[in-house]
Amino acid sequence: MAYPPALKKLVEALARFPGVGPKTAQRLAFFLLSSPREEVVTIARAMVEAKDRLEFCPACGALCEEGDCSYCADARRDRSMLCIVQEPRDVLVIERSGRYRGLYHVLHGALSPLDGIGPEELKIERFINRVRGQSIVEVIIATNPTVEGDATAGYLAGLLKPLRVKVTRIAFGLPVGGDLEYADDLTLNRAFEGRREIL
Amino acid sequence: MFLSQLSLRNFRNYRNQEICFNPDFNIIYGVNGQGKTNLLESIYYLSVNKSFRTNRDIDLANAEGSEFLIKGIFNKGSFSDQLEVNYTQNGQLQLKVNNCKTDRYANISNYPVVIFSPDDLLLIKEGPSIRRKFINLEASRLVTSYLKKLKDYQRVLSQRNYILKDKIGFHRKIELLKPWDQALVFLGTEIIINRVSVLESLKIEATPFFDQMSSSHETLSLDYLSNLTIAGELCDINTDVIREKFFELLLDKREEELRRGLTLQGPHLDEIKISINGSDARRYASQGQMRTAVLAIKMGEVKLFKKLCGHSPLILLDDVFSEFDEVRQENLISFLKDEPGQCFVTTANRPDHIMSLLRKRHAIIKIDRGQASHERDRADH
Ligand SMILES: [Zn+2]
Repeated sequence: MAYPPALKKLVEALARFPGVGPKTAQRLAFFLLSSPREEVVTIARAMVEAKDRLEFCPACGALCEEGDCSYCADARRDRSMLCIVQEPRDVLVIERSGRYRGLYHVLHGALSPLDGIGPEELKIERFINRVRGQSIVEVIIATNPTVEGDATAGYLAGLLKPLRVKVTRIAFGLPVGGDLEYADDLTLNRAFEGRREIL
Repeated sequence: MFLSQLSLRNFRNYRNQEICFNPDFNIIYGVNGQGKTNLLESIYYLSVNKSFRTNRDIDLANAEGSEFLIKGIFNKGSFSDQLEVNYTQNGQLQLKVNNCKTDRYANISNYPVVIFSPDDLLLIKEGPSIRRKFINLEASRLVTSYLKKLKDYQRVLSQRNYILKDKIGFHRKIELLKPWDQALVFLGTEIIINRVSVLESLKIEATPFFDQMSSSHETLSLDYLSNLTIAGELCDINTDVIREKFFELLLDKREEELRRGLTLQGPHLDEIKISINGSDARRYASQGQMRTAVLAIKMGEVKLFKKLCGHSPLILLDDVFSEFDEVRQENLISFLKDEPGQCFVTTANRPDHIMSLLRKRHAIIKIDRGQASHERDRADH
């Protein structure tokens, strides 16, 4: 197939996005070509800028911009509550639902020996030290309702018990095996309200 | 509930087959090797999403092809559901109910079947794994969340075994095992409790049949054997007590587990003991006693489904009459007489004798080299 080289390059680049096949990539490419130049520049800049400016907060692991964490640094947030999630995108899901106003801790995964993920990979010791150093009253565990998410929750609860903090697990009324990222706002609010203490 | 229509494409020795069934009784008749059992197998597969003869789906495809299709219409009161199973060229299984895609095993509680076959004897004769498979299938069909728990438990086992086999230091291993010990105990306990309750219900339904069929006041017993139970009794012990004991036993086995790199405590190693007058049927029962015991268990299964699902399961009888003596034949016939569920019986001999005893509406379906055809329809009360 004869393609102008620049078009070929663009289609190949766009096809690297998850869930985007060659056909969709071609459609996106023609969309860009039909858009005004300024708009294309804005889109391209937004990508590069996000990549350059966003990093993971060294304290909580959530996405933050140039060292300025919108969760850790926000004085209005409730510092007695800490919510543990698996992935940075889970923070966005919980923020969108709007009810929770405490702090976060992102594990960047769940325990899974088959994938080589143990407590060290999740930096769990650092997490425990974080809880120890602050006046946290309740830790809400919101890892996914999978075998690995549940095992991680149970493990963390065991480590937190001696620190005399209340440990709760959110109540998943989600479809079986459904990850946090697929939950709608109402379901998520219910899950937070219905959270139960792990004894 | 009954199966009114079945279509097969490239399933075993069937090329293209459409067939209607009688709501009460269907006699599948023909010389051996023509495809009688294959027909039962396709009905079983539609219901359970696996075969009772093989674990490999590819075996079910026509010898020349590598795909097959089973379609059936189940009538339930004034509704009917169309079920479809399609094994595709690239080895994928696609299931549909009323044209909506579903997952494998997602509907195994909804269109239950119970099969009676000469191989049932293996349930007593073989090692523990066949009986675990049996209780897993029954519990999966009767307890809503069981299949998910079982899958999760198997995942926990592989995670845990991976750590046990890993070449890392002792202390680190113990630390890594912690979350998986807990997951094993919590899920394992739930599985045991579900299994014990299903087995107990089955025992209640099966023992009266055994009493009826055995001449000399023998009693049949089904007990769940685990080192967490005492003589199969678990019902009066609560979840916390079982968990606590499970943790203790796991600790006792730790050294051996580390040495062998395997999880050595849990329901994946438990056993179901089938006994007659208190002694293990596997070791001490005669062939005749075994036959009576499995027949009673199967009849109990039918009753149990009826009780818990609200409607009778389909009953598949694969050439069982020829194996039975007169007492068992008579008992089976009187059982089927009272049983409102739809029946499918395969036989190589002319079925006139059975039918004259049974007196039910029926269809006779002749099977000849992978072709099924209605011989005649009769409605004699
Ligand atoms: Zn932060």
